[in-house]
Amino acid sequence: MSNFFAGYLPLFDLYCIHIGLALSQFIVLRAGVFSLATAAFTGIGAYTAGILAVDFGAHPVLGVICGTLAGMLVATVLSIPLARLRGVYQAIATVAFIQICLSLNIYAEGLTGGALGLNNIPKTVGTGTLVIFAALATYLIWAIERGRIGRAFNTIRQDEAVAASLGISIRKHQMLAFAISGALAGLFGGLEAYHSYAIDPRQFGFHLLITILSYVIFGGRNSVIGPLAGAAFLIILPELARPLAENRMVIYGVMLILVINFMPKGVADTTIDAIKARRLKAKLRKAEAEARS
Amino acid sequence: MTSLKLANLSKRFGGVVASENVNIEVPAGKIIGLIGPNGAGKTTIVNMITGMLPVSGGTIQVGDVDITHAPAHEICRSGLARTFQNIRLLGEASVLDNVMIGLHRHETSSTLSALLGLPASGRETAALKIRAMKLLADFDLTEFADYPAGGLSYGHQRKVEMARAVATNPDFILLDEPIAGMNNVESDALAEIFLGFARDGKGVLLIEHNVRFVAKLCSHVYVLDGGRLISEGTPEHVLSDPAVITAYLGGEDA
Repeated sequence: MSNFFAGYLPLFDLYCIHIGLALSQFIVLRAGVFSLATAAFTGIGAYTAGILAVDFGAHPVLGVICGTLAGMLVATVLSIPLARLRGVYQAIATVAFIQICLSLNIYAEGLTGGALGLNNIPKTVGTGTLVIFAALATYLIWAIERGRIGRAFNTIRQDEAVAASLGISIRKHQMLAFAISGALAGLFGGLEAYHSYAIDPRQFGFHLLITILSYVIFGGRNSVIGPLAGAAFLIILPELARPLAENRMVIYGVMLILVINFMPKGVADTTIDAIKARRLKAKLRKAEAEARS
Repeated sequence: MTSLKLANLSKRFGGVVASENVNIEVPAGKIIGLIGPNGAGKTTIVNMITGMLPVSGGTIQVGDVDITHAPAHEICRSGLARTFQNIRLLGEASVLDNVMIGLHRHETSSTLSALLGLPASGRETAALKIRAMKLLADFDLTEFADYPAGGLSYGHQRKVEMARAVATNPDFILLDEPIAGMNNVESDALAEIFLGFARDGKGVLLIEHNVRFVAKLCSHVYVLDGGRLISEGTPEHVLSDPAVITAYLGGEDA
């Protein structure tokens, strides 16, 4: 039995890291920003933490903090030019940003190790740490969702004109969303670096972008459960489909297409909406019964 | 007495003049009408007041505060609320949530406590919920609180939008064609609400198509055509003004 769990532990570690990244993607989408830069912020966090540990022998706590701050700082600065763009233009600009980070990473070979990546990072982060940080990140996003900032994000996402007419500063809130997204991505990038011995530039490119975005699309964009469920499902699915060998990525693709077509709000949000609708219906029926008696 | 004052307000889109030297004053506690045929530039004026369109010339003042070039969200904070010509509610969100957003201006908990979900933020959310429910009760909407706003009937959606605008606790309210597409019973109910605003000491600028409705409610009416004010005064005076009749019905040579 313990062997069974040991076999799946790396997968669980991956899940914990990807929860953080999915939440980083989730929070910008919630604020109405179509940014895909999470992959780049993750890379910035991972390399900041990695370089500090390998070249300067920094303590892992310091490394992770610096990684988080680096992600947050870059994201905040990036939000300034992006404030003028909307929708698909923001998406394209952020994809370009990922490409810029990738290229800079390869040019700065002396610092980052170039295409070979950064190796011999001491492994200081285990499953326990990852679980704690994944839980903290989930709490943070959940708390934001319930309060004043979550309400402002919701309004901006659905209708910017309404948000402005009610006194909500769009620029300020979108910058805040970027900062949170960058901090989360930087944090989990740093954890990834200290967890996996080595990092390389390709890890933080287009493939990671698509993976993270799929979690949020698949799970849902409204409730914090969305990215958690999406990440769980899309990480386990290829394992369940292992007997299909090389065809298993086909299942992944088919599942995504089915969900996007038939549950455009994502698996978790569709379920939550259905539960809410049922409760309302029950309440209505009760009220009608009372009115009749 | 504070008032909302537009002085020589102008808007040009390239060579097209959408409004020119418009002077309007909305005193507190009064309902002021702004009428004009389609394309007269009524909505342009609302959009300029609320900061959605940059002003080309002239000034807008609330009391002594100049808001001509202030960004939209700060204009709201100086005490101005609006409703939209085509209702703009957050369709996915519940009626209660829609009204709670209107209270955003009064939220005071710090960003940090809102981020970390500290008790202060939770208390504030609970207090806002109570205030929002009270507003819903004022507008007879209590039973719809949990319903998604997008699923409500047109008349109810209008009322939710009013409740949201009132939630910001404005001194002045701009109503952009609030009774378009409503029957007489529904519009009479809204008229009562508007009179209530005026009784509370709020200034109301009512932009409307429906001349009869405006004549019934307003103490003073401005008539706009082709971006210029062509007449102003009491409803009786304005409606018998030959210039207004020409604008609405066409001149003799039209």
